[in-house]
Amino acid sequence: MDLPSIIQSIQASAPGEWMRTSLKAMPIVESIHVLAAATLFGTILIVDLRLLGLPDTRRPFTVVSREMLRLTWSAFCVSLIAGMLMFAANAHTYYGNTAFRLKMLALLGAGVNMALFQGITFRSVAAWDQNAPPPLAGRIAGALSILLWVCVIFFARWVGFTKGYDFAIPQDTHINFQF
Amino acid sequence: MHSFAQWLQQTSASHTIQSVSWVIPLLQSIHIVMIGVVFVSSLMIALRVLGRMRVDEPFQAVWSRFAPWMWTGLCLMAVTGLTLVVGEPTREFTALSFWLKMGLLVLGVASTAFYGRSLRHAAIVAPAQFSVGAKLASIFIVILWLAVIFLGRAIAYDREVWGALSLHA
Repeated sequence: MDLPSIIQSIQASAPGEWMRTSLKAMPIVESIHVLAAATLFGTILIVDLRLLGLPDTRRPFTVVSREMLRLTWSAFCVSLIAGMLMFAANAHTYYGNTAFRLKMLALLGAGVNMALFQGITFRSVAAWDQNAPPPLAGRIAGALSILLWVCVIFFARWVGFTKGYDFAIPQDTHINFQF
Repeated sequence: MHSFAQWLQQTSASHTIQSVSWVIPLLQSIHIVMIGVVFVSSLMIALRVLGRMRVDEPFQAVWSRFAPWMWTGLCLMAVTGLTLVVGEPTREFTALSFWLKMGLLVLGVASTAFYGRSLRHAAIVAPAQFSVGAKLASIFIVILWLAVIFLGRAIAYDREVWGALSLHA
């Protein structure tokens, strides 16, 4: 199965259909996406700032990152589900949209950055966990993370202005005005 | 209100904001980044009150850590928000979501200011645990911010969300 036909299947799926025909689904799902993404960004920012040694290194890095973990992953999952629903509504258009592709690249970059940090720099955490300046690699990871997530948000907003909304509703579609 | 919106829309400031293609997306993006900062700062303070986060630190330390970010973020959002309104006054003023958002925003800011002051006092007087009232207030304020965020997004979908209640002509 090639990519275009996968995209077509996603667009033709039941969730995609629901997102297109329900009057209130898109605003609600998009709001949930923005809220979850904002929470995700804020919690990641706290950890990244700590990785940069800000505001101070009093509290151990391991404590700061551990206490944010559940919130960050929950927010990510909610954001991902809402995002997939929105994608399904107009998969073909988003797939071909430059801003959307750049957003996905930035997301991937953020993930790779995080994985590299966890796999390499974090191993030496005992040495710099508390009351010590984080290593250069850690500070780079933190700065890069902030930059990439801000890019995700900027590209995401750009999608909203460039997706060439083609929501011309087919003649035989019944819109559910109750919800 | 409509005539004020129309007058505002004719001003050169409004024209510039509307016509330079990257201004509105940039302002909205900054606004969204700040939502993350403000909401999570507020959430961290609330979670501290609920005894779920940073209990190893005194409340004053948590407040000092996050309140400046919250207030600075809100100021930045006021600037970006105001500029967005000047750029697209009709869009905002004819949205019920916008007016509800403004009302809840005022309530949120006032509640946070009052709540912050009373909690810092309570934390000095009886540092062990916050009262049920304080905990309920913290949950209420988080819900308030959630509503503000939802309403902010709903501005673009005002007719779909509110139906006949929308202020759109």
